Amino acid sequence: MVALIVALPLFFAFLFLLTKYFGIHRTYLKGIFLLGILSPLPVFLLNMSDLPAMTVLGGWTRVAGLEIGIDGLNFFFLLASFIVFPMVAVYSLKHFDKNEEVGVSSSSKYFLILLLYGGILGSLVSRDLFNYAVYLEITSITAIILVSSSNARGAKFASFRYLMLYLISSVFFIFAIGIIYVKTGYLNLYLIQQNLIMDKEMMIAITLAFVALITKAGIFPLHFWLPEAHSKADTPVSALLSGLTVKVPVFGMLLFLRYTSIDFLIVPLFIVSLCSIYFGIFMAIFQDDVKKFLAYSTVSQMGFILVGISTLNIHATGLYVFTHSMAKAGLFMGIGILISSHGNKSISELTFSGRKFLMVTIVLLALGIGGVSPFLGGYAKYSILKNLSKYSIYLFYIGSIGTLTLFTRLIFELTEFDLREKIRFEFKELVPFILALVSLGVGIYYYPEFSFTDIILIGLAVIAFIVLKYTKVLKWKIPHYYEYNEEGLAGQINFYTTVFVVVNILFILYVLNFYGGLHIF
Amino acid sequence: MIDSITGGYLTAPIAGIILIMVGLYGLMVKKDLIKQVICINIISPGVVLYFTGLGYVSEAGAPLLPFVNVVDPIPATLMLTTLVIDVAVTSFALALIIKIEEIEIGRDEKW
Repeated sequence: MVALIVALPLFFAFLFLLTKYFGIHRTYLKGIFLLGILSPLPVFLLNMSDLPAMTVLGGWTRVAGLEIGIDGLNFFFLLASFIVFPMVAVYSLKHFDKNEEVGVSSSSKYFLILLLYGGILGSLVSRDLFNYAVYLEITSITAIILVSSSNARGAKFASFRYLMLYLISSVFFIFAIGIIYVKTGYLNLYLIQQNLIMDKEMMIAITLAFVALITKAGIFPLHFWLPEAHSKADTPVSALLSGLTVKVPVFGMLLFLRYTSIDFLIVPLFIVSLCSIYFGIFMAIFQDDVKKFLAYSTVSQMGFILVGISTLNIHATGLYVFTHSMAKAGLFMGIGILISSHGNKSISELTFSGRKFLMVTIVLLALGIGGVSPFLGGYAKYSILKNLSKYSIYLFYIGSIGTLTLFTRLIFELTEFDLREKIRFEFKELVPFILALVSLGVGIYYYPEFSFTDIILIGLAVIAFIVLKYTKVLKWKIPHYYEYNEEGLAGQINFYTTVFVVVNILFILYVLNFYGGLHIF
Repeated sequence: MIDSITGGYLTAPIAGIILIMVGLYGLMVKKDLIKQVICINIISPGVVLYFTGLGYVSEAGAPLLPFVNVVDPIPATLMLTTLVIDVAVTSFALALIIKIEEIEIGRDEKW
């Protein structure tokens, strides 16, 4: 049964391509697309009654078959996919119709979105390392092709950079899987757990896998591909990339956390996550391109999610992933409506101009992403905080204030009421609003309390924004080192590969130093 | 013969790791997009060699019926997937380079 969750979107992707070449009318094509997006939903709902639902495909034993399943580990990831994908699909029907230009046709994009759906769901249900890796590759390659299909300037550059970083990290991930296979004799994670011996080689394998996953998730020292790729893609694609694609590597980290031991990596992961939080906020606050602003905010939010992993908190990580999926996909789609009506991506030139409904939506989503308590973000933040030590809590709160400052800036810059202008309500505006409501509703279900601390955090964020605004710090521009041509791109890839290798070496030296009997530091 | 030169230390996994290192070096220093794609194509066979080498058992045969004294078939089977992905991704990367030259170059733009 669970296998149908993956099989149906892939089948509909194939059917879509087949019917497209028979020259069927576009309305029917859209019907097939929507049917494909909705098809795994009944299977998921049927399985909801008896969770956890774990099966080995084909009735084989674990040793010979592929194990897949739904349980507490991937429940929130799947739930986020099943909410975000249909919403984005509805939005994209409107969006691609309006923005049909030269370049890749919209029906190819629908096909790729279906394939992305299959890839994401496949990696989320798998409990076999190699199966996970293959579906992760399907997800990444489809995402890369979707980025390159955008008409925005620089989309091809962004796509190429994403491709190279993805390939290097994939190679290292498969390399790590190879070591794990040799040490334990299995690729099934349950059997790996049974045969696990945490020696030096195993630790190095898990470290390599983690650095590769950090790269794919776009977390700070290895985030290079993320801001460009997420900001140059079409708006629905950006929502999918920021909302779900970067969460799939996080699920890989959870697999390692659940089935092997990552205790030895806690300190470097915590440092990396804090760096990612602060770096993302620092870069976002100076961005003028609103999509790049949201993309850098994703870098910072991925840091928050990594805090959940570094405190070995599976539940909080799942919740944070869910809340960020809702908020970021909603923000990308909400801002996308403004971008397509203004034809511009600059924060200083975009305004709500009479769209009150959209403004309320953006404020709700901003509160959700900032972790204010009736929203799910508040509960997720609270559950991560439980496992933190005394001083790290303050570091975490500074990150929260930073996030709220970012979105105070966004809302302040966008708010400029011009009531003379009458803009007709667009149906598309409902989509981000529903995502905001889901975030609020699930939050109230889990944690129906109101925390006074959040009011103080919002107050501090507003003060921080006012200080930044009136000291003219926000006018600063981040300088660009590389030229906008092929040599510049090649130079960037040289630099990024070097950083990737250096981070790998540092992580391995750390592990060997403290656990492998090598005493360097 | 190769064993007499290397003293038996150059097994397939080690050779694979050396190939990965060579490819990474190329990615770190080469200033040409096509050369970088070729470097990726050096790294991937390195992984394939590493992985298939892991399943090797000395003086064992191909994994066919009856399964007596055979090499481990799983690494080789898994690597088929990687090879297929590599072919597709390489062609995509080269197509992307053509598109970059056609579309992106010559625009007065900042990153």
